[in-house]
Amino acid sequence: MGVPDTLFRSSDMSLVQLYVATEIGREVVSALGELGSIQFRDLNSDTNAFQRAFTKEIRRLDNVERQLLTSMANEFGISGFFATQMEKAGVTVRPIPRNENVTAAPSAHEIDDLADRCDQLEKRVSELNESYETLQKRWVELIEWRAVLREAGSVFEHAYGQVEEIRQTGEDDDTAPLLENDMEQNTHQAGEQQSFSVMNIGFIAGVISRDRINAFERILWRTLRGNLYMKQSEMPDKLVDPQSGEEMAKNVFVIFAHGREIVSKIRKISESLGADLYQVDEDTNNRRDQIHEVNQRIEDLNSVLQNTKSTLMAELRMIAAQLASWMVVVKKEKAVYEALNKFNYDQARKVLVAEGWCPKSGLALVQNTLREVSDRAGLQIPSIINELQTNKTPPTHFKTNKFTIAFQNIINAYGTAKYREVNPGLQTVITFPFLFAVMFGDLGHGFLLLLAAILMILNEKHLDGRKIQEIFDMAYYGRYMMLMMGAFSLFTGLIYNDLFSKPLTLFPSMWEYSVPADWKPATKLVAERIPGYTYPFGIDWKWHSAENNLLFTNSYKMKLSIIMGWAHMTYSLCNVYINAKFFRKPIDIWGNFLPSMLFMQSIFGYLVITIIYKWCVDWAARGAQPPSILNMLIYMFLRPGEIQERLYAGQEYVQSFLLLIAAVCVPWLLLSKPLYLRWENKQHRALGYRGLSEHGRVSALDDEGRPSGDGNGHTFGRDSADYDGEAVALVAEDIDRGEEEEFDFGEIMIHQIIHTIASYLRLWALSLAHAQLSQVMWTMTLANGFAKSGAVGIIMVVVTFYMWFNLTIGVLVIMEGTGAMLHSLRLAWVESMSKYFMGEGIPFEPFSFELVLEEE
Amino acid sequence: MANGWSIIIGLVICLIVAVAGYVLAPKGENLTVWRSSILLTVACTYIMWALTLLAQLNPLVQPNASDFRKQYIE
Repeated sequence: MGVPDTLFRSSDMSLVQLYVATEIGREVVSALGELGSIQFRDLNSDTNAFQRAFTKEIRRLDNVERQLLTSMANEFGISGFFATQMEKAGVTVRPIPRNENVTAAPSAHEIDDLADRCDQLEKRVSELNESYETLQKRWVELIEWRAVLREAGSVFEHAYGQVEEIRQTGEDDDTAPLLENDMEQNTHQAGEQQSFSVMNIGFIAGVISRDRINAFERILWRTLRGNLYMKQSEMPDKLVDPQSGEEMAKNVFVIFAHGREIVSKIRKISESLGADLYQVDEDTNNRRDQIHEVNQRIEDLNSVLQNTKSTLMAELRMIAAQLASWMVVVKKEKAVYEALNKFNYDQARKVLVAEGWCPKSGLALVQNTLREVSDRAGLQIPSIINELQTNKTPPTHFKTNKFTIAFQNIINAYGTAKYREVNPGLQTVITFPFLFAVMFGDLGHGFLLLLAAILMILNEKHLDGRKIQEIFDMAYYGRYMMLMMGAFSLFTGLIYNDLFSKPLTLFPSMWEYSVPADWKPATKLVAERIPGYTYPFGIDWKWHSAENNLLFTNSYKMKLSIIMGWAHMTYSLCNVYINAKFFRKPIDIWGNFLPSMLFMQSIFGYLVITIIYKWCVDWAARGAQPPSILNMLIYMFLRPGEIQERLYAGQEYVQSFLLLIAAVCVPWLLLSKPLYLRWENKQHRALGYRGLSEHGRVSALDDEGRPSGDGNGHTFGRDSADYDGEAVALVAEDIDRGEEEEFDFGEIMIHQIIHTIASYLRLWALSLAHAQLSQVMWTMTLANGFAKSGAVGIIMVVVTFYMWFNLTIGVLVIMEGTGAMLHSLRLAWVESMSKYFMGEGIPFEPFSFELVLEEE
Repeated sequence: MANGWSIIIGLVICLIVAVAGYVLAPKGENLTVWRSSILLTVACTYIMWALTLLAQLNPLVQPNASDFRKQYIE
């Protein structure tokens, strides 16, 4: 069925129509969701979300999802108490392992079951939660009461012990506080165990939060004008408020005052300030009984609390074990109903009608799935799949694997390719890491990169689908890209002969220093070439120690980058031709490919040829001064036909001719296509076609742009063929206005040069910078370590190695690597893709459970 | 050992590798990726190697240095 999908073009798509019996609609869609290779079109786009067939089901599932989410939240900390308790109990939600079909195609009653169970569980958990909170509140109250009883008790003990003393001091001292005077007067007749009530002294005991105690005291003092005796102390343990889950520091207070009114006033004040008052008996024996009783109740409550908690924990633990898988079931189910909402229902034949895009290569699989589901259900009516003829633009889909996906995503980040156009992703697999390596050329750094990539690839099983840390995840995603970048960096490192900035002496050098007889240290020596021998692979290692090293590498790397740029751009331009051929647009060949190619070759192609020619000529043997290529290029534009330094015979004629070609190409490139389109437009108008709307949409312009619609009477709103027509019409309008504009040849030329070949000089700059930086890193650290000898030397080497290695990883590999990657990215996007990439595609978004679950 | 002819010899070797890679590329759904990658790799590496050799074929500057140690000279 069709050609196999390759990365060269997006997959061949077909618009298919499915007829599915209503009974098995859910099952079919669910199976297709597992398959994930069909993108359903919305056949009910005119109805809103509430009018659709399965709105009710979706609502219900939303509710289940909410229940599951709240129980998840329960475990993860909305209620802080449970979260901490859960942690102690070690209850965690088990994540669902990826790619495991535990929950494939749930049946309808399974979903109902799940919904019911969720309802019940929610009720039960919230009940338990509530009763637990009530119990907790009671417990707190009891604890507070106990504290109050103890505090009050100690006050009473103290008071009785002092009664005698008070009486005596009271008689002597008239200025003693009222309270004490009162006490003194009343205790005068009473015995030691006499009750305060007889003395008409009331008291109030309670608990108040610690931050309010000062205000409380002050208010009491002012309103009662000091007619009170207050004793307070801090509660040693902090209590947890069961409602808010916050810890509260509280103080216990006991207040004595004279007279019923005053006591009730105090009670009002303390209640208004949020204090909790507790009943305390003033009789010592009764009080002892009270304390005893409170202790008893606390103990009882403790055991009840324990029980409730363990029941709740058991309940939650049971949910936790299944929560993740339930969640998956619900999500899938919801996706199924959302897809079903896009279907049409044929009342007469009782079937669901669906339409969607599907890669041609996946059609057989879809057919099989449909048959399987029908067979399983034991239905007599088969599900029918039907390919439709259409003039709508299909979505763009690339079949990627784990190796190519990262590269393809680079391209997709720039834009979605037009359906079936040449996919830049294929060439990017090599050109992207290679251009990176030209800037990152170092055997050592390349090896480190390769090592990291290989480690990640070897541990794929453990790392797949796990989120560890954002930056690491990104690196993991691009691990195969890193592999390629590392591998190519090894190669360029060999060519540059750089291993952590040190050379390898793989082959004998082509240079030899001849030492004069009168040699003294620091005499400058110039190497002699060994005749007829050239260093066979990479840069001669003798250049590394040479003082004029940069002189050579600078010119070499600059020329290298120019030639690389030329090759990369020429390759990219060829794709224009392939696209024009494929889409049968000869105007793109004559109006775009040919002039740009001629322009490029007559300037940059010529430049490359002269560079190589200059390298090939033995200028010393010829006895001529080697001409400067840069000067040649400049004078080629400034004074055509005049030669300053001759490179070869007849140079002026060749250069004038090439310049003439380039000069012709510019207006040709800029005018021919728009003029052609305008002419075509006029032809169409002459034939009687008119723009369809006031916006100037001339869909008749495009030979594919016939009024759209399919055999079944559906009309579709969006048609990308219309877009093409619109764009063409706009272009045509633009020409009408801008025709008289002058073309500034010089400006365009400079623009072209800056935006093309000059951009590739980044290869030169970055590779030089990388080599220099790694050399500096070496001399600043390890070289110092090696300079010392003896024990100091050993320590120095260890220390400086540590520094050097960390700097190498951090700065040279990670930082410089990221930089080189971004530069390579720009070359791929701007310099290469902008030449031929059409974009404007619609991405293929299949109905796939995998994608639905990934969205979380 | 290595002179101007190396460029041609290298080209021949690379062409052989490219053809072999094209023919021997693993069949299957990734055939296109294999072929394109092999051909582009051969092309890129050849260009880089050849240019480096060409740049040193008729050098216009010679390396010079003055930080020799005595042991090296003798």
